[in-house]
Amino acid sequence: MEGSDSYLIRPNHQHKFKAAVVKECIRDVVRERLGGVQYDPEAAPDLSRSLADSIKDRVKTNSSCSSPSFPVDVGFDRYKLVVQVVIGEQRGQGVKMSSRCLWDADTDNYAEDVYINDSLFCVVAVFGSYYY
Amino acid sequence: MHSAKKITKEDTWRPADLKRYIRVEEHDDYVRRQDVNERRHRGGESKERGRRDLEKEFRGERDKHEEKESARDRRYEDKKDKYVDKRKEASRDRRGDKEQDGRDRERRRDRERTVDINKYSGDYREIRDSRRDREEKHGRERDKEREGDEEKERVRNRERYSEGDRDKRREERDKERRKERDREHRTERRQHEESGELGIERTEKYDREQRDGHRERDRHKDRKEEKTNEKERHERHRDREYKEEHRRHKEEREKRHKERRHHEEKQKHDSESREQRDSKGPVKEVRHHRSDRERAERDKHKERRHREQEDPERKQRERRQRLEEQEPDINPWDRTSSKKTTYMHETNAVETEVAVEEDLGEQEYEDDFEDYEEDFEEIDESENERGNEKETELSQVEESEELTPQRRKEVEAIQRAMEVENERVGTAQSTQSTIREEDDGFERSKAPEKEQSTGSQRGKFIDFVAAKQREVSKKVAMKQKKRSTDLLRLIDLDFSLTFSLLDLPPVNEYDMYIRNFGSANTKQAYVQCNEDNADCDIQTEEIEMCEKWTQHPPERSGVCGDPNLSPETRDKVLSELNLDSQRLTAFLSSASQVMVVLLEEDQAERRSLRKLGTQTEKLSFSEGSLQLNTKLPFLSGRNIHLVHFSQVQRHTMMSVHAPTTQPSAVHLDSCTIICIWNIWEPSRPQKILVYESEIQCCCFSTGKAILVFAGTSVGSVVLWDLREHASNHYRRKIGEDEWTFREPTFSTDAVMADSGHFSAVTSVEVVFSSAAGGLRPEVPLAASEEELSGLSFQLASLDENGVLNFWVVVDLPKANEAGSPTDLGLRPGSKVKLLHSSSLLTVDRGSPRDPTKIGPLQTVHLKFLPTDSNHFFIGTNMGLVNHGTSHGLKAPPKFYRFQDPGTRPVDITAIQFSPFNHNMFLVGCGDGSVRLHGVSYEQPVTEWKSSTAAEPVLLLQWAQTRPTVFCVLDAASTLHIWDLLKDETEPVVTERIAADRVTAMATFGDSGQKNIYSGVALAHESGKLELHYFTRGFTVPFVAEGEKLEIMMTEAL
Repeated sequence: MEGSDSYLIRPNHQHKFKAAVVKECIRDVVRERLGGVQYDPEAAPDLSRSLADSIKDRVKTNSSCSSPSFPVDVGFDRYKLVVQVVIGEQRGQGVKMSSRCLWDADTDNYAEDVYINDSLFCVVAVFGSYYY
Repeated sequence: MHSAKKITKEDTWRPADLKRYIRVEEHDDYVRRQDVNERRHRGGESKERGRRDLEKEFRGERDKHEEKESARDRRYEDKKDKYVDKRKEASRDRRGDKEQDGRDRERRRDRERTVDINKYSGDYREIRDSRRDREEKHGRERDKEREGDEEKERVRNRERYSEGDRDKRREERDKERRKERDREHRTERRQHEESGELGIERTEKYDREQRDGHRERDRHKDRKEEKTNEKERHERHRDREYKEEHRRHKEEREKRHKERRHHEEKQKHDSESREQRDSKGPVKEVRHHRSDRERAERDKHKERRHREQEDPERKQRERRQRLEEQEPDINPWDRTSSKKTTYMHETNAVETEVAVEEDLGEQEYEDDFEDYEEDFEEIDESENERGNEKETELSQVEESEELTPQRRKEVEAIQRAMEVENERVGTAQSTQSTIREEDDGFERSKAPEKEQSTGSQRGKFIDFVAAKQREVSKKVAMKQKKRSTDLLRLIDLDFSLTFSLLDLPPVNEYDMYIRNFGSANTKQAYVQCNEDNADCDIQTEEIEMCEKWTQHPPERSGVCGDPNLSPETRDKVLSELNLDSQRLTAFLSSASQVMVVLLEEDQAERRSLRKLGTQTEKLSFSEGSLQLNTKLPFLSGRNIHLVHFSQVQRHTMMSVHAPTTQPSAVHLDSCTIICIWNIWEPSRPQKILVYESEIQCCCFSTGKAILVFAGTSVGSVVLWDLREHASNHYRRKIGEDEWTFREPTFSTDAVMADSGHFSAVTSVEVVFSSAAGGLRPEVPLAASEEELSGLSFQLASLDENGVLNFWVVVDLPKANEAGSPTDLGLRPGSKVKLLHSSSLLTVDRGSPRDPTKIGPLQTVHLKFLPTDSNHFFIGTNMGLVNHGTSHGLKAPPKFYRFQDPGTRPVDITAIQFSPFNHNMFLVGCGDGSVRLHGVSYEQPVTEWKSSTAAEPVLLLQWAQTRPTVFCVLDAASTLHIWDLLKDETEPVVTERIAADRVTAMATFGDSGQKNIYSGVALAHESGKLELHYFTRGFTVPFVAEGEKLEIMMTEAL
């Protein structure tokens, strides 16, 4: 077994995917970007994409949403992030969204946040999958 | 771009010049190429199969070539030998076998080879070595030949391109087009030949195709043989090169490997191909076009290959893999083969056209290799024969120059054809061995970098890099796979619960409505019913009840009360009561007076009714009498020597009670007491005034009876202010009643020693305002009353020595409780004082007129003329009444004398002006005579000398209601009432009161009112004070009664 001397199959506790922190990130970004935004079907795809990117960046740098007890340089090391952003128009319709993951429940986690204003709703789910 | 260009070229491909070069022999190729093109354009078909077909075609083509070759007596012995050799080498011992049975064997061999290659073991190297040994001879020989040929060809090429790059390029393009058309023709022909087979070829699998007809099978075989040849060539090349460049190669490969990592493949291709074009000239440019296209294809193939690595068609893949593995080694062999082909070209050129054309297919095929070889050739040359490069070029140029133009054309045509073929083959090869081409491209990309210096290294190096890369990626993949397998054992993946990311319930209709319309200028109004919160209410007000009480007469705490009241409130009520006390007392005092008067009247009426009978019997003139209650402790035993009524307030009476010698309970014996009475209130005096010594005379102030003046026997004038509050005076409780004894408000005692009186004051009189009295004699009394109420009036006092003092009564604006430091006679807290105004001696003392007189002239009585206060009348003890004026004016009658001339020492006891006729006055004398004087005359009007039986007249008073009636009291206590209307000579009534002597008398009455009453107050010796009302005859005045006095006066004159 050359090269397979040791696998790091569990993340450092510090580096573990912290749903609360990520949720905070999402919340920050979404509030910042979608505050007072009206739903525009033309702009929604780009918006969701850019939102996903900025959330991903934010979570990766993890600087702006880090609390004092949480060192800035500690990101989610060895985590693959999947950011899913859904923006929909709010017209009184019922919406149900759910997700299911095949993963290692010990290491992987997800964080989601919902932002709703008068004209749109935005669901952001960030899945963190540990890369062994 | 290139492919597009190619298509356009194909479209514009049929000029006649093409036909010059394209012959029937070439039709095979044509057909085949067209086929290729067709397939290329058939995008819908499976690319996998297309590529496969291409490969087949390519192989088939080559087979055909070989067949042709064999059919053509194998003119190119070398080549054939080489082929044979190759076959021999590839199949080693089976070299001798026929082509037909080679198929299976070749397959097997392929497999073996793939195994070998995959293993990359030393085994392979051994084989190679052996092969190398075997081939060495052939290779060298061929190398030599080739060198020469190649040089020639290159010369030709350069010659061609030296004419001008542009032209040549254009030409080349044209040629290319032409070639492509050729190809089309050929493919057409081939279609004719293989019409049946091709369809199968296209649709069926490779294996099945192999089972097809003999020719085809041959083709396959040939193709395989070719492949094997290729491989062999590779091997050979490798054998040769390996030794020489093995070390450097490795180094370079590593280096380039690194470099390559930094570049994108396509970019490299483009840029490098361009560079190559520039450096190597048009020949290569053509190839670049082709290579670009090929590359594109290759890329596709690569992708496909990667995708289809698990394709069931193992063989193909393996073959490809094998090719890929062998790639690095292919080029050196290519060079050799190309050299061979160039040699062949040369021979072709020398031989007939037909031969050339026949050969074309083969040449093209060979060209393909040559094309590649040329690259490597150059590199090799540059590497091996760096020095010779220039030389060879020069020689080539020379050779090309030697050629005739015609020849050159032919050669060019051939070259063009070759290029086209190369192109075609290149595409075929690309499909067959994509990786190799890719590496080629890569190599080319690297070439410009090291073309001059390390060109030779390039080929080898690139090959190894590719291999290494592959190896590395493979390793990585394996590693990852291993890792995943390792990890998957450790990690268990599981399905997470289903996370509900969002659950947004649909909005109900109401909310929707509110959202859409609720916010538009409207507001949700809130309504609250709260129906269950019922409340009962009754509006009937409760009856408030409380207890009160009243008490009469009031007890300690008041007249009324409330049991619920707390002591504080009760106190409050009391305090309020106290606060109101002054008002209350004011009210009570006035009201009580009224009440008392009423009560007393009532009482007096009853008493009088009871006593009337007796009284009337007693006093003939009296209609009734009223007794004032003088039975007071402090009045007991006192003589009333003076009674005086106010001229204005006619019901107010004052009685002067002389000091008594009888001891009494009250220690006021030596004091004179003055009682102020209201005749309607006879039960008790209103005010009690006290003075230490005997009071000789007294009077009320003008106007309201608020001031009382008195002259004393000690020569002082005293004043009482009746307005003073009782509390300021000495109060004494005598018996059951409490009495207030008022001290004088102001006294001149010892205050005004200079200006005061030095003898007993015999009379005090208020001086009416002179102005008022003098100037307006008709002014009614009321007016003067009001005037005088302002307290600005004078007081005159006359003592026995005839000194007349005038005083000004001053009402101080403010009382001083502490007493005045300047006004020593003023009582503390009082505010009325007297200021001495002037003093007048009215009696000439050293008068020689009466030397016989015993004593000095005494002035006894003072009266002012009511109409003019400047005139005063003083009664003297000489029987005369002096008339003087205050300002020293002379008045006509100096004195008023008896009717008889001469003077007698007779005291004038009384002087009384008629209230109705101010010009007439009565004078009473001590000898009992009564005179009636007119003011203007010295002589009396009448004189009644013996009316009183020589008894001295004590008092004399006009009746208040009748002008002609007057009363005279003599010393014998006889009261004479005169009515001049009835009798002018003697009194009408003479009543002797013997039982209780009358000591003082005063008339009272009021004529101005409806209730006319008139009477006389009699003060008895016993201290009794009786008010007798005159009978109607004495009260009611008669008509023209007043004129009676006038008549009398005129009669007397």
